[in-house]
Amino acid sequence: MDHQTPTYPLIDPDAALFISGAVSISIGTRSADMLPNLTRAVGCRLSPDRSRLHLLISREQSAAVLTDIADNREIAVVFSQPSTHRTVQYKGRDARIETTVDGDHDRVRRYRDAFVGELVPLGYSEHAARAVVDCRLDDVVVIAFSPEKAFNQTPGPQAGLPLGPGAR
Amino acid sequence: MPRLDLIRECLEGTIPAMMATCASDGTPNIAYLSQSEFVDERHVALSYQFFNTTRRNVLENPHARLIVTHPLNGERFRMLIRYLRTETDGPLFERMRAKLAGIASHTGMSGVFRLLGSDIYEVLDIERVPGQVAAPPAPRRNLLAALRVCVERLAACTELDGLLNTALHCLEAQFDIHHTMVLMLDGSGTRLYTVASRGYETSGIGAEIALGQGVIGVAAREGTPIRIGHMTLDTAYSRAIRAATLESGFTDGLETEIPLPGLPESRSQLAVPIKTCGRLLGVLYVESAQDLRFSYDDEDLLVTLAGQLGAAAMQLNHGGDTAEPVESSVPLPAPTSGPPAVIRHYAENDSIFIDDDYLIKGVAGSILWTLLTDFVARGRHSFSNRELRVDPRICLPDVSDNLEARLILLRRRLIDRDACVQLDKAGRGHLQLTVRRPLQLVDVIENLPHTRPPLTASTASGRP
Repeated sequence: MDHQTPTYPLIDPDAALFISGAVSISIGTRSADMLPNLTRAVGCRLSPDRSRLHLLISREQSAAVLTDIADNREIAVVFSQPSTHRTVQYKGRDARIETTVDGDHDRVRRYRDAFVGELVPLGYSEHAARAVVDCRLDDVVVIAFSPEKAFNQTPGPQAGLPLGPGAR
Repeated sequence: MPRLDLIRECLEGTIPAMMATCASDGTPNIAYLSQSEFVDERHVALSYQFFNTTRRNVLENPHARLIVTHPLNGERFRMLIRYLRTETDGPLFERMRAKLAGIASHTGMSGVFRLLGSDIYEVLDIERVPGQVAAPPAPRRNLLAALRVCVERLAACTELDGLLNTALHCLEAQFDIHHTMVLMLDGSGTRLYTVASRGYETSGIGAEIALGQGVIGVAAREGTPIRIGHMTLDTAYSRAIRAATLESGFTDGLETEIPLPGLPESRSQLAVPIKTCGRLLGVLYVESAQDLRFSYDDEDLLVTLAGQLGAAAMQLNHGGDTAEPVESSVPLPAPTSGPPAVIRHYAENDSIFIDDDYLIKGVAGSILWTLLTDFVARGRHSFSNRELRVDPRICLPDVSDNLEARLILLRRRLIDRDACVQLDKAGRGHLQLTVRRPLQLVDVIENLPHTRPPLTASTASGRP
């Protein structure tokens, strides 16, 4: 398999808007002995050239994931919009742990509000929706990586197909 | 670690579970699960619908990580699970397939959205994800205490009509479930007919559903409870796939959307087969306009109630026959005043029309025709269940057929139509026919004319 970093940003402007919105964000990693691990992110930010994703996560909720990143840097992340089920998965092999930057705490707050605003009209209670994305702000750390591959994962026959630049 | 049975609500999928797997080359993958099922304290089942990356990964590397979320308070649990096997038949598979099929048929996705297998996983570890959660809503009431009241009331019933009405009344009074019905399987085993209901604008008695149609029909066909707890989301999910399917030009096999009987805004549905002695008798169906109304606990309760209902119904269907012969009643003169009511009987399907108004068909129609024939010919107005059961003119599909349920259906239809003929219980195992107008009986041997007033949807076809 070709793992060369693409010369174009895999995330086009439309996808950039999508992943910055009220979407559920899940991060998958694996341990040295190939056990999968999983955590939820509470926001994300994209580098200006759209080549690098920065995922905001709770350290205490993500201990195994952080250990895995330090071990092998493999990562998968899924963005899914509950109201439409539009779902995209990105994978990379250069993930690393970073500290938050100015604005990240506000980013988490805005993300939570948007996420709750997405779920409540679907019939979920506000306190349940808030609990799903709850964490201590002073505990937030960042996982950054450059997506190498993108896949459409919206449920249906097209699920699993690779996405190219501009593909949705 | 937390017990799986205490967090089984998290497997409802109302907040979809996330699943991480790892390929043999070390590439992680994430998928959202459309369906997960509590199997027992150590096992969960996940639906296998497409051969995707998740599927390929677990066949290579059986460990997977799940995050499941409690639908009411958002509490999250992370599980380490290990793939064991895939079941492609048996009760669990049928239950999951039926649930999926119920969702699919509800939105016209039959044949597209289908279960290939139930993947069974062993649960190796469960941890609670740290985070604040609000207290879950207080339980509505002590469900076991409520169940006990129902069981005692049902045990006191001495006839089928009362048993069915007591069951539905109990569901309302004890469990706060306001929209309920009981449907019985007809003799052909292909259709269910409504024999009791509570909470609807019209009783719907006599309304039919084909086996396999909708949530009720699928529960009956598969012989397993079907529970859909979050109609909005399940529907939206099916519709997302449907849109994607339409876009991909993969449209063959899409059926016309079947409207669900009952509540127009039904958000929670639970259909539980009524079984006894290894036989399916019918379905107990409850629904609610509220999301997430019925839990695993409610399903347990209804399965328990349906078990008692089935055993009692079976007993009362046969125990209701009196051993004594009917006293030969003095023939009553037929009413002579007023215009005669023209009663047509179509032999083709035993349908009965009173003055061109459709009344009923099938076995219940055959029963009424027999009673009216005897009434007109001999002035008889009193009949016993026992003689009806063996009367060769009434073609009961088999000796164990539910005559009592047919009589309930017939009586209720006569009341609902305010017919000039009424049938009342006259002591145990006896029926009293009341006729308010002179009758003119017309037996039609040839096929039903196509110019007949259209039959209503609830009576369209089949033999109740």
